[in-house]
Amino acid sequence: MSATGEEPAGLYLHVPFCSAICPYCDFAVLVGRRDKRQRFVDTLLAEIALYASRQRSANEPSRQRRANETQSPDTIYFGGGTPSLLEHDDLERLLEAIRRTFAPRPGTRIYLEANPEDVEPASLDAWRRLGVGTLSLGVQSFDDDELRFLGRRHDAAASWRAIELALAAGFETVSVDLIFGLPGQSASGWRRNLERAAALGPDHLSCYELEVHERTTFGKHRARGELDELPSDEQAELFLLTHRLLAETGYDGYEVSNFARSRRHRSRHNRKYWRHVPYLGLGPSAHSFDGRRRWWNERSLPRWQRALDEGASPEAGSETLTPEDLAIETIMLGLRTAAGVDLERFEQHFGFDLAERNSDLLERSIAAGRLRREDRRIVPTLEGLAVADGLAAGFELST
Amino acid sequence: MDTIRNFCVIAHIDHGKSTLADRLIQRCGGVEDRDFRDQILDSMDIERERGITIKSNTVTLPYTAQDGETYELNLIDTPGHVDFSHEVRRSLMSCEGALLLIDASQGVEAQTVANLYLALEYDLEIIPVINKIDLPSADPDRVREEIDAELGLDPFEAVECSAKTGQGVDDVLEAVVNKLPPPEGDPAAPPQALLFDAQYDAYRGVVMLVRVYQGTLAKGQEVFLMHSKKSYVIEELGTLRLERVAQRELPAGAVGYVIAGVKSVQDIAIGDTITDAGRHADEPLPGYKEAKPVVFSSMYPVASDEYENLVKALDKLHLNDASLTYEKDASMALGFGFRCGFLGLLHLEVVQERLEREHGLSLLLSAPSVRYELELKTGEEVAIDNPSLYPDPSEIESTAEPFIKASVMMPERYIGTVMELCRERRGEKTTFNYLTPGRVELTSEMPLAEVLFDFYDRLKTVTQGYGSFDYEMLDYRDSDLVKVDILVNQERVDALSQLVHREKARQRALHYCERLADTIPRQQFKIPIQGVIGSTIIARTTINAFRKDVTAKCYGGDITRKRKLIEKQKEGKKRMKMVGSVQIPQEAFIAVLKTDAGK
Repeated sequence: MSATGEEPAGLYLHVPFCSAICPYCDFAVLVGRRDKRQRFVDTLLAEIALYASRQRSANEPSRQRRANETQSPDTIYFGGGTPSLLEHDDLERLLEAIRRTFAPRPGTRIYLEANPEDVEPASLDAWRRLGVGTLSLGVQSFDDDELRFLGRRHDAAASWRAIELALAAGFETVSVDLIFGLPGQSASGWRRNLERAAALGPDHLSCYELEVHERTTFGKHRARGELDELPSDEQAELFLLTHRLLAETGYDGYEVSNFARSRRHRSRHNRKYWRHVPYLGLGPSAHSFDGRRRWWNERSLPRWQRALDEGASPEAGSETLTPEDLAIETIMLGLRTAAGVDLERFEQHFGFDLAERNSDLLERSIAAGRLRREDRRIVPTLEGLAVADGLAAGFELST
Repeated sequence: MDTIRNFCVIAHIDHGKSTLADRLIQRCGGVEDRDFRDQILDSMDIERERGITIKSNTVTLPYTAQDGETYELNLIDTPGHVDFSHEVRRSLMSCEGALLLIDASQGVEAQTVANLYLALEYDLEIIPVINKIDLPSADPDRVREEIDAELGLDPFEAVECSAKTGQGVDDVLEAVVNKLPPPEGDPAAPPQALLFDAQYDAYRGVVMLVRVYQGTLAKGQEVFLMHSKKSYVIEELGTLRLERVAQRELPAGAVGYVIAGVKSVQDIAIGDTITDAGRHADEPLPGYKEAKPVVFSSMYPVASDEYENLVKALDKLHLNDASLTYEKDASMALGFGFRCGFLGLLHLEVVQERLEREHGLSLLLSAPSVRYELELKTGEEVAIDNPSLYPDPSEIESTAEPFIKASVMMPERYIGTVMELCRERRGEKTTFNYLTPGRVELTSEMPLAEVLFDFYDRLKTVTQGYGSFDYEMLDYRDSDLVKVDILVNQERVDALSQLVHREKARQRALHYCERLADTIPRQQFKIPIQGVIGSTIIARTTINAFRKDVTAKCYGGDITRKRKLIEKQKEGKKRMKMVGSVQIPQEAFIAVLKTDAGK
């Protein structure tokens, strides 16, 4: 709902390959050999080329504005999957094509997700030279047992080493991903993980709670009664512990799962998702958004590949968001961030006073210590952040 | 008349009553094999599913016996539950004999005894039948001993069979022919026919099931119903062979059906006596007892836009079930609905299930209540079965509640626990006597309201299934009654209000509070749940606010999926009932009220 064009767009590239499938992973990923990855990169280049041809046909005056908005990103995000599996010259080819086609703005931030086992001085050096600014490390844990449970291919020592090497390599931001809420995980066990991470001192941390999705290996284990999720109250404990401990060690929890040492280390790319800034997603299962319409690519690699081989769009579905959809998302996404929901902006976009329409709910939520009013903003407290979904679902939006 | 036999099959549950009936029907060619289905006499889905019989049914079986004679065997299927004891009694009245079915491996059970005594009350000739002799665990010799020792019947009269395999079924039929007496009666006398049940047929109106005792009913005859004092002309009559087979007349001794232009079952009274309009019998047959509802509950559609459908469904159901009463009702929490009266808890469950199943409705029922009699300070007397109509306590002079005489039959080893249960349920004048060595009948005078609240379940538990229970209404007795309200977040949930004895108020209120606390999902706020009498809090629980529900990741720009989850959550909330600021899911009401409904 941020007026399109207010902020430059984001570009996301989904690399669906992993060296192994983690039992909790719900993303579109698969294990693929080098030749398959090569073919994938070629197809991704074809998808970029498809946009290039559209751009040319869109270069008529009437559509120019819109084309410009989606074409000039200031973030390029390689996510997955495991983009660090890509050969350096493949990354280079992709970045070249992106520069030619989308003309990224000066100062564009390039993000790369990497697995600790792929982090070597040589690769770090190569990624730096390719212009990667934020290296996001899928560390997940500093405990060997936990890593084994999560099906990761690295051990705790590799986690340490990767972070130290990455920090020494001179990236603008080194981010570390951790997972908590493992079955049977104690507060002290999770605290040890957090303390280790904080001691190493990456610029950014993402702490995701383990979510068991139906289609995953863990989901099947759960259905068979072989995996007990952590009880909700204990999850809440760990969530609050995460935010409190990291706040004490100088990490600002600016979103449900994201923490930064300072403002400049916050994820510029993710912020676009949270603020309805347009983004273009390339690769299987990637989502795109132009301010009103959201569309997504075929989830399966072969289907996505087949479409592009035939010169067709790999789009699998789309929706055009109604003002009400946008309003729900604005609240839902806003309440996930420390910044909360900007009432002024909300009223400008949706034409009604959110706080007035929900005065009872606000009063109760404030009394219950879950929300705060800050000038013209509704801001979640830490306890509120923990229940942001339920809070969002409580808002009345219909006119 | 010598070739007619009227009989029923009585048995403990699961001893194979329906299977034996099925086999008898098949053996006598009552149905083509290709038309056959199990439990053929139970036409309602709910009967077939639960393996119970709710409506009486009857079938005439032509049987050529070993003596070369062809007999007309009228098998009258009876319901097997205390709620329908009127029907049971009337069905038994229509017979001269009964097959007492006993499972060859289970032996004599509580209901075997109870049913036997009921049948003996009507002076029926009894043939013990030992069923399921094909089971590896069958022990017919031991069962014979039990028949002798526990039932006091001649063990050598017992017939062995397997209704499942068909083994011995001919012996059963021969015993029916040879050991049961034919009916008696004078076909020329003024007619006396017992109307023992009725069914509603969409095309023909009410189809009355009758047993003719004296005289003869014939097509075109003008008949008179002695209790309801109405006259009808018989349009059609005949015997039932699963289908109706029209005859010219039904003479004394016959069992059959009569169609006489009756529009609705409300117009007739089951148990009434049919006689000739011009030539009345001297007196009606015994057996007429007005079926009065004793259990009351309010029914609400889960979705308020289903109210009209509920109206239609109740009207339709009522055509076939005269004992159901209903009138409009409204609840703050649950919207518009009906206050309904039932013969008992099983009747309530059956009605609910038929409404839900046959009419696709989803219903909520309030806590079952009895009808209380109140004397007001003004001297006025009022009857109250709905807690929402309960007057202010300051206006009440005295309250009285219905008492029943409960009788429990059980092996003697359970006396202690059952007496304790009766004491818990405010039973008075609890006594017992030995039916046979080892078998005891305990009687206790207790408030009907105490039976509504999971008594039957508890009895089954404490007697490990061996206790059987029956009751009859006694009278109204003074009682110290209070109205307990349930408050959720300080708001009264009217559908959960109930009238209870003061001694039981705290316990009941706590039960409700705990049940609600278990079933209302945690919400954004702490929710106190209280049970109160007036403004005095007698029970309380709290639902703590939930503390974590946010999903970890909004990844890869797939915001759509996330929004759908929130929308689903919003949608779910819409289906909940709002009480003040608290959303209560339907399941919470069901969970709270279900425990009460017992079984």
